[in-house]
Amino acid sequence: MGPSRFRDFFRGFIVVAVCTAIVFPLRTHLAAANLVMIYLVGVIVVAAKTDKRAAVLTSILSVAAFDFFCVPPYLTFRVSDYEYLITFAVMLGLALFISAMTARLRAHASEAIAREAQTAALYRLSNNLAGRTRTFDIFKAAAELAEETFQSKVTVFMPDQAGHISFMKRTSDRLIVPSAEQTIAQWVFEHGERAGKGTASFRNASALYLPVKGEQRIFGVMAIVRTSTSVAIENVHLLDVFLKQTAFAIERAIAASTAQAAEVRVETESLRTSLLSAVSHDLRTPLASITGAAATLRSHWSRLDGGTRTELLSTVTDEAERLNRLVNNLLEVTKLESGVRLQKERFPLEEIVGAALLRLKAQLANRQVHTAIPSDLPLVAMDAVLMEQVFINLLENAIKYTPAEDPIEIAAGKHDSVVEIEVRDRGAGFPPDHEYRIFDKFFRGRTDNIRGAGLGLAICRAIIEAHGGSISAENRAGGGAIIRFQIPLTDAKQNDSESRSKGEL
Amino acid sequence: MSEQKAALATRPEILLIEDDPQIRKFLRVMLMAEDYRFYEATAGVEGLAQAATRNPDLVLLDLGLPDRDGVELIRDIRKWSQMPIVVISARGLERDKIEALDAGADDYVTKPFTPGEVSARIRAALRRAAVLDKNEPSEIVNFGNITMNLAARKVSVGGADVHLTPNEYKLLLVLLRHSGKVLTQRQLLKEVWGPEHVEDREYLRVFMSQLRHKLEADPAHPKYLMTEPGIGYRLLTEP
Repeated sequence: MGPSRFRDFFRGFIVVAVCTAIVFPLRTHLAAANLVMIYLVGVIVVAAKTDKRAAVLTSILSVAAFDFFCVPPYLTFRVSDYEYLITFAVMLGLALFISAMTARLRAHASEAIAREAQTAALYRLSNNLAGRTRTFDIFKAAAELAEETFQSKVTVFMPDQAGHISFMKRTSDRLIVPSAEQTIAQWVFEHGERAGKGTASFRNASALYLPVKGEQRIFGVMAIVRTSTSVAIENVHLLDVFLKQTAFAIERAIAASTAQAAEVRVETESLRTSLLSAVSHDLRTPLASITGAAATLRSHWSRLDGGTRTELLSTVTDEAERLNRLVNNLLEVTKLESGVRLQKERFPLEEIVGAALLRLKAQLANRQVHTAIPSDLPLVAMDAVLMEQVFINLLENAIKYTPAEDPIEIAAGKHDSVVEIEVRDRGAGFPPDHEYRIFDKFFRGRTDNIRGAGLGLAICRAIIEAHGGSISAENRAGGGAIIRFQIPLTDAKQNDSESRSKGEL
Repeated sequence: MSEQKAALATRPEILLIEDDPQIRKFLRVMLMAEDYRFYEATAGVEGLAQAATRNPDLVLLDLGLPDRDGVELIRDIRKWSQMPIVVISARGLERDKIEALDAGADDYVTKPFTPGEVSARIRAALRRAAVLDKNEPSEIVNFGNITMNLAARKVSVGGADVHLTPNEYKLLLVLLRHSGKVLTQRQLLKEVWGPEHVEDREYLRVFMSQLRHKLEADPAHPKYLMTEPGIGYRLLTEP
């Protein structure tokens, strides 16, 4: 008999004693039936709070107390009027009936509470797993929730490349199991059945091993060790649902990433096709000019006057320069497209802007460029070479379309977790509605009349997006164009470590 | 007139190591027009032999040679000579340039280049070599509106003293000692912070940025503290 049951019985005694204390002074004034009612209230109170056996005991005690204290001759169990035997029988019957009913009600209620807790746990699980894309993250979240829900120690073991469950690949270190049990985990992984403590196979193991089983295959093995406060075994069903949900989340993540890869492939294909047609056009135009000018100079040298010769020579150098810019851009695109990882490091923005301005020194010789970059702007994680290309392309565009006397402006500012940069000019701006399409031309495969500018902006977009940012264009109030782009700042943690390392110097 | 004759008599010798005949052709025209004496080599082994026998005043070296790795060639030359080496390399091959500079090259030009760019690099490298030979560091250095008093370790901009932290001053001093020459991030980090910090490129950027804010009128449009993207920095002390 556990201490809590003993307490329940004790509670029964107390309640009967209290009822007797109420009833005893009233025994001569009230009818026996009314006295019985008071005892029945006592039985209900006990039945509502305790288990069924204590309620039964209370029922019997109540009948005995009623007989002893309230039925003449008082303070004996003897009965003068044998009609009271019927009263006792009805009273006992009623008390037992009440006990049974109350116990059943209580069982229903606690079942409902448990079911609600299970539903809540599963809801939290699916909520927590949704949106996770990496198998490891899903397992980790599932293991943590399982620990909480089942009040147990949980870890999930994953298979390595060769398809062997490895204790090295685990979600946490909170549950330590003997490494010899790796064979049990492997068995579970291969057979898709539970094993270990409390099951038919490997019952001497320290943990219970459960397969995380999807439709087609098994993704991992969950190991559980129950602690003293663990939720009882009736939750085995819940555990099954838990595992199924986890497997489902992994299947969904795998399906999503497959779909995404396919989408990227399609996009890359169309990019390649439109690139090819745009490039062959853009490459041939300057090449034609160079060939034509050089051939003319060679075959008609003596017949050309000095001015014409100089003009043709400028054509050669200018068009060669154009070809060079194009090839630079193409190299960047090829780099991006072939999936070369960005060489991201954290730079002061002004350094990148300064490098781009230096590169364009000749073209900017008679131009004003106003820069407004706050000195307290945080370092921005960028691929320096690619980001310099962005500024070069944007500035070249601005130079192309802006009258020489109007300044070009570069402004930057921090907005929450991004750095926003604007390149503004006072040129012709964009034709109405075109501001949304200028970056797309190239990607949509529209090859009509794409000049260097179209390619340049498309490359800007590709580079900015590879940095996790976005780029847009709009017409400027008072005439001109604004190209605006955002680059995300690195998280606060890294900023912390930066200020720390600065402090050390 | 007599000065010009003297200059011709001592006109510098340049060794051109380049395998591409077209580039060799136009560099030849440029070198002739600039009155240099020059020798040509079309491959690395031949170039190294010429460098050893002729001991030129400067080597113009294409990194993409068919027979030998250009960076190895620089290391070989540096074993016995400090002659200025200017390398020629294509854009996008920043790592090659950094390796060449770390191996001891003095400067680089990026293909495609104009004759003007090459001749400016050659002149600057020759001038630096001449200054190094004299080895007379002056006490006070002026460039633009910036004055550095090396004895007092003081820097002023437009006559107003500027406070530099010890590391900022050290960085500026290293740049000044090699003024006009591009220094790789690794070289600067090693000289200013020590060999254990050669990978801490972010330090360098933060300090360069601070120097620019203290010395340049517009830090985003520097006149003296120039960035060589992906490679390093260069101090320009003359326009």
